[in-house]
Amino acid sequence: MDIVLTINGREHRLGVDVRTTLLDVLRERLGLTGSKKGCDQGQCGACTVLMDGQRVLGCFTLAAAAQGAAITTIEGLAGDGAPLHPMQQAFLDHDAYQCGYCTPGQIMSAIACVTEGHARTEDEIREFMSGNLCRCAAYPKIVAAVAQAKLAMGHA
Amino acid sequence: MPDDASWTTIGAAVPRIEGRAKVTGQALYASDEPVANPAFAFLVLSTAARGRIRSFDLRAAQAVAGVLDILTYENVGHEADPPAPHGAGEETTTMQTSRIWHDGQIIGVVVAETYEAAREAAYAVGVEYDAEAPSATFDSPGVQEEVREPGEHKDFAVGDADAAFDAAAVRIDARFGTPTQHHNPIELFTTTCTWHDGSLTVYEPSQFVHGLRGSLAKQLRMDPKRIRVVARHVGGAFGSKGIPSARTAWIAVAARRLNRPVKLVATRGQGYTIATYRAETRHHIRLAAGRDGRLLALRHEGWEVTSRPSDYNVSGTETTARMYACPNILTRVNIVHTDRNTPGFMRAPPDVPYMFPLEVAMDELAEALGMDPVELRRVNDTQTDPATGQAFSSRSLMRCFDQAAARFGWADRTPQPRSMRDGDWLLGWGCAAAAYPANIGAGAARVLLGPDGQATVQIAAHDIGNGSHTIIAQTAAERLGLRLEAVTVQLGDSDLPPAGLAAGSSHASGICHAVAHACEDVRARIAVAATTSNAGPFAGRDPATLILAQGRLRGEDGTAEPLHDALARVTGGALEAYAENIPKGLPPDSVGKLYSGQMAISRGTQREDLTTYAFGAQFVEVRVHARTGETRVSRAVGAFAAGRIINPRTAHSQLMGGMIWGISSALHEATEIDTRAARYVNDNIAEYLIPVNADVREVEAIIVPEQDAEVNPLGMKGIGEIGVVGMNAAISNAVYHATGRRIRDLPIRIEDLL
Repeated sequence: MDIVLTINGREHRLGVDVRTTLLDVLRERLGLTGSKKGCDQGQCGACTVLMDGQRVLGCFTLAAAAQGAAITTIEGLAGDGAPLHPMQQAFLDHDAYQCGYCTPGQIMSAIACVTEGHARTEDEIREFMSGNLCRCAAYPKIVAAVAQAKLAMGHA
Repeated sequence: MPDDASWTTIGAAVPRIEGRAKVTGQALYASDEPVANPAFAFLVLSTAARGRIRSFDLRAAQAVAGVLDILTYENVGHEADPPAPHGAGEETTTMQTSRIWHDGQIIGVVVAETYEAAREAAYAVGVEYDAEAPSATFDSPGVQEEVREPGEHKDFAVGDADAAFDAAAVRIDARFGTPTQHHNPIELFTTTCTWHDGSLTVYEPSQFVHGLRGSLAKQLRMDPKRIRVVARHVGGAFGSKGIPSARTAWIAVAARRLNRPVKLVATRGQGYTIATYRAETRHHIRLAAGRDGRLLALRHEGWEVTSRPSDYNVSGTETTARMYACPNILTRVNIVHTDRNTPGFMRAPPDVPYMFPLEVAMDELAEALGMDPVELRRVNDTQTDPATGQAFSSRSLMRCFDQAAARFGWADRTPQPRSMRDGDWLLGWGCAAAAYPANIGAGAARVLLGPDGQATVQIAAHDIGNGSHTIIAQTAAERLGLRLEAVTVQLGDSDLPPAGLAAGSSHASGICHAVAHACEDVRARIAVAATTSNAGPFAGRDPATLILAQGRLRGEDGTAEPLHDALARVTGGALEAYAENIPKGLPPDSVGKLYSGQMAISRGTQREDLTTYAFGAQFVEVRVHARTGETRVSRAVGAFAAGRIINPRTAHSQLMGGMIWGISSALHEATEIDTRAARYVNDNIAEYLIPVNADVREVEAIIVPEQDAEVNPLGMKGIGEIGVVGMNAAISNAVYHATGRRIRDLPIRIEDLL
């Protein structure tokens, strides 16, 4: 079927299988490989992207169902040479990753965690970031990064 | 001129140089590599665990729109051999024949225009089996048990452990078990193969790109020069991506048949049987001591599961026999053959399962003696390897215990079980020792220094989250006297000089030494040119006294000239140096072995002059709910002495991550097996429990300064494994302290505490 997706402010027209997920469209059709496949069954959060500012799992969202929404991926946060988003900078500052594979999903989820108002305490950050698995186990540093970025993003 | 600290790179806690690429989504992992017009592969796995394939029915699969090819043993079995075994014995086969060795074995590959079509067709492949009843694990009918003969791993018999045990005043005699675990890196097992004029390029997450290249050359009967393996970033590995898996050759064959790139992204569940895992183990430990706490006897016997044809084992008795001064030591390891996939190495492979029983038994012994567990370790500390009688290059075990104990507040512990409480929560404090051999890999590196003062370092190292990019740049910047930003690192590519296997805490020291050697070659050539020149400030001096520092060539008296001028005496262009490093304990052909894809690691347990180990001490607080048995690790403090640390920032993440792996190992992780089918049941990362953010509280890793001039020239010991080693026992000991229940089978679950 033919669909239109709005990703990082750009419209993409493409024909897809009705079964194709948003994640596979991003990765295999549009070259936006920043969103990662870690389980393809909604368990790990590595494919987290924003749809109209809400976090969704790219592997659990059919591409056809993503039409009409403004989709933001990790590539949409900072262009080449442009300043990093405060959340990206905070992950750098705190070494809030090791292998980096879950990191795009963590950052997208963390941005939504802040804008949803779920980053008021460290406990709340831990709870609302628990859908994003990090096998390297950078969790304490991810919490510190979210707490730092929250202030830079203008949230208390 | 005074040293400017801003130039210091070795030992500086600098951010990862690839960090920006990782936080912007630009870092290319293997399945992110762009290839033109790929076809997509989906694996067909066996649903029988033992027997033979009687027949395939491919009609429904072939009828799926978009299907391009279906590979089975019937049409491609002769086109690839299995990878070589990664231990003694033989390896299971896949599509070479109709033989089924284990559930989830690769028996077919479907290739289609789209991922969706390949998946649909793979599930439509009909298979008839001549199946036999499989043997799943310990105690299953049909398993074959045998004593592991000495080979790669040794046993120790010092004194007479049985007689000393029988005669001793205080004795502990206990049996333990550890479960099957799967690495579950978040990056899946992927393979993309492309052919061009008879040459093969493979994009695959790997901990040993030269190893995979060498294996594929043998499997596909090709010249290794015609194969290139690329893994620029690896999304976690933990051992699972170190051994060539059977899938790669079949994807290469599929791509050759279609003359088109083929891309495989295996599913999370398939990863449980197409790669390796940590096998379940059992242990029988006997410890005996005098009333003064001094050990008199240690007897440690282990049992490990492996596949039917393989003799793979980890033999962690090589560490437990070395932990404490003891005049009578006996170790023995048995392997149990089952109808399962072959296990392999997973973070601290020998020490996670084997240190658990030893360090719990030490806690039991301390209680039997009425001694503090830390003091029992102090009484039995030694600077001499008890198994061999040779010295440790350095051993800071008690400094680790003392620093961690002070930070933790251990002095406030009341020793009686169930004596510390916070409302409905029973508090338990426990500790354990950690140790891991200071292994080091052979390696080679190439350095290019240009007239613009920019350097490029090329080495086929692997960044699996261990910080390789950054520590390579730090080493080169320090030795070339450059700013960190002036160094570009190229790694993860078998076209580069080999760096060996990124595993067993051998990689950081291996690659830093190789890079330092190449940089020394650069320095020496620049220095010789400067001292043999008739003109210039260094004419006639001893070249060995000149160093590269802060963008200059500098003499001992402070005389200096800009690097650009010094380099111009050697070349008007770029200076290139290639160097190899063969660590003590390895034969001279070790780098040659790396080029051909074999491992070359000098092990801390196998040197003939010294025993080299890193040591640590781990303390945890658990909270066990008195009514529900819910168990949480509320605090963990670890202190580790591992020689020179190149980057305390990335090292801290390694140690902290290792400690959280330990929380996971003790309380969360276990692969459940349906023993009737010899099948993994919880083959996904929702039901295979690993910690989420909310499971982790305070985790503190302390790096204890340690200088070791004997272990290797840079004084480095690896830190990738040691963080996880003591946690199983520390947590079990803390649970005992909280509840009075001694749990000797992992993981510790609510049902154990009700």
